[in-house]
Amino acid sequence: MAQNPFPLGKDELLKAYRTMRTIREFEERLHVDFAKGDIPGFVHLYAGEEACATGIMMHLNDNDRIASTHRGHGHCIAKGVDVHAMMAEIYGRSTGACRGKGGSMHIADLSKGMMGANGILGAGAPLICGAALAAKVRGDRGVGITFVGDGASNQGTFLESLNLAAVWNLPVVFVVENNGYAESTAMEWAVSCDSYVDRATGFGMPGVTVDGTDFFAVYEAAGEIIRRARDGGGPALLECNMVRFYGHFEGDAQTYRAKGELEAIRATRDCLTILSERVIEAGVIGRDELQTIDREVNALIEDAVRAAKAAPLPVAEDLLRDVYVSY
Amino acid sequence: MAPVVGIVANPVSARDIRRVVANATSLQIADRANILLRVLAALQACGVRDVLMMPENGGIRAHVERGMMRARSRGEDIYPALHPVAMPITGTVADTHRATAEMRRAGVSALVVLGGDGTHRAVAAECGTVPIAGISTGTNNAFPEHREPTITGLATGLAVTGRVPPHIAFTANKRIDVSLINGANGGAVTEMALVDVALVTERYIGARALWRTENFRELYVTFADPEVIGMSAIAGLLEPVGRDESGGLMVRLSPDGDCRKAATTLHAPIAPGMMARVGITDWRRMPADVAFVPEVTAGSIALDGERELSFSERDRLSLTLRDDAFRTVNVAAVMRHAGQNRLLTGTPVPVAAF
Repeated sequence: MAQNPFPLGKDELLKAYRTMRTIREFEERLHVDFAKGDIPGFVHLYAGEEACATGIMMHLNDNDRIASTHRGHGHCIAKGVDVHAMMAEIYGRSTGACRGKGGSMHIADLSKGMMGANGILGAGAPLICGAALAAKVRGDRGVGITFVGDGASNQGTFLESLNLAAVWNLPVVFVVENNGYAESTAMEWAVSCDSYVDRATGFGMPGVTVDGTDFFAVYEAAGEIIRRARDGGGPALLECNMVRFYGHFEGDAQTYRAKGELEAIRATRDCLTILSERVIEAGVIGRDELQTIDREVNALIEDAVRAAKAAPLPVAEDLLRDVYVSY
Repeated sequence: MAPVVGIVANPVSARDIRRVVANATSLQIADRANILLRVLAALQACGVRDVLMMPENGGIRAHVERGMMRARSRGEDIYPALHPVAMPITGTVADTHRATAEMRRAGVSALVVLGGDGTHRAVAAECGTVPIAGISTGTNNAFPEHREPTITGLATGLAVTGRVPPHIAFTANKRIDVSLINGANGGAVTEMALVDVALVTERYIGARALWRTENFRELYVTFADPEVIGMSAIAGLLEPVGRDESGGLMVRLSPDGDCRKAATTLHAPIAPGMMARVGITDWRRMPADVAFVPEVTAGSIALDGERELSFSERDRLSLTLRDDAFRTVNVAAVMRHAGQNRLLTGTPVPVAAF
């Protein structure tokens, strides 16, 4: 094997690939099972965007908090939330991460620093300011990461949070996952600037734009931004330009896309292909090693679905449990 | 027929990681539009009535049109007509390539470019003999000179309207051609750089910018200017080479960035506000039209400060500097000539026809 010319060791590279592949298989399976009518509620798939969540979360530990979006499965998996618990949650089973009462848009696991997916657009940003303030007061070098889509970035909550984080110099990273569409509205119709870096600058913090389909681009930029936040350098914004392989929600006919657009992005901007070709070409990881991971991930997802389907549904008495928490 | 000027304004330059690892500038869309309005006013003052512009979705044109509408509503005739090039927008460098080619075919007399070294490189790849008037809105900006855009617009206007002789108005520039032949499939990639080609050990494009000096290995520059920042500064602080002299400079850096193994240790500004120690093994002049084959056998190729291509031991890489590769508006010379000949007074001194 050749000398490793990458910023991560081989084990870390394999871990990144495994995470991205797990997200992809998780989402591909949900796409199929939702179409069959097996899954209650809405799902919004993260397929195509795996490099963003993975490249960022590789720099975090369980003490760091993230606040996610309605499209949160990828964030959860990359942050270490148990795949079986996630699948059960999406299937609405009592073994789920939130005992089957949250579903796709409310998966949370505080033990992993995952504060929750969020069905309210732009709602994660104020939450993460609170978590970051707590980390700052404790002085434990924890950071908070919040994700927002290009559409939700227009919400007042997000813009107010940029201001708050700047004023309080909080260890927050605002990640704009720019997949080009707010549901069905292309961003040039709804966002007053081409780059979110402009918005960061307006609130007195640095902003950086990267190719969100390139794991190494996200990893490298996120590493510098997160380190800056841990060191007391304050908030920053990271814009990841990326693509989603499915509609805004499952069932979305995507009539707003140009003809051939989806085929083109799958052929040229698949972050998993970009990563695997890069590490194989460099001679650091063999194709067979990645194929082994593919098989293991397939088995994991299959087992998660099997277990979820076999698990019991919540009962009526569970309805009022977990509404309040004593502390 | 009145000359037409083309404009390429990149809405997304100056957005990279150097805003975090260094203290680089972030220029907002409204600032870029204001720069453009200053250029347009200067062009109009020189008699340019029509301007073609690359379309973009970044909002620059919308801001500019707002400014033009405000002037019109006041009855002020201070801007030329602005015509977007009819083409699809991809939001990538392909837009710059296509718009430049379209404007060249449309017969523009000069191209005003707002961007960093990368934007100027994309224009230079397609502009042919059309001269470039560069305005710095990027990060390191070794290629476009730092100057008030109004003056760049004035110089461009004076040059294209023939009020300054071409041998004064325009100047030749160098470039480095990069040839990469894939050892596995024989495929060839040709690229170019206007200022510098850096070979680094990272084998991924990643966040593109260069700031980890320990990974620098070889450096090739068209000019070595101690007054700029970035890769050209490293060469410029060793042996200055002017933009207007033939050939460039090649610099080898010590392995692993270990200054103790280096023949020379240099303290250089490699990014805005970022001084770094780099170990230098040796350096030599890089004559024009001589192909250089690097010692580095694998890594990434950074063109004008940004990683663009990766290469392996199987690939064949060569670099060749070209003199007289493309033209730019010589703003300093034009403005000096304008002053000496009182071109902007009511009674200019007649210009000798030579």
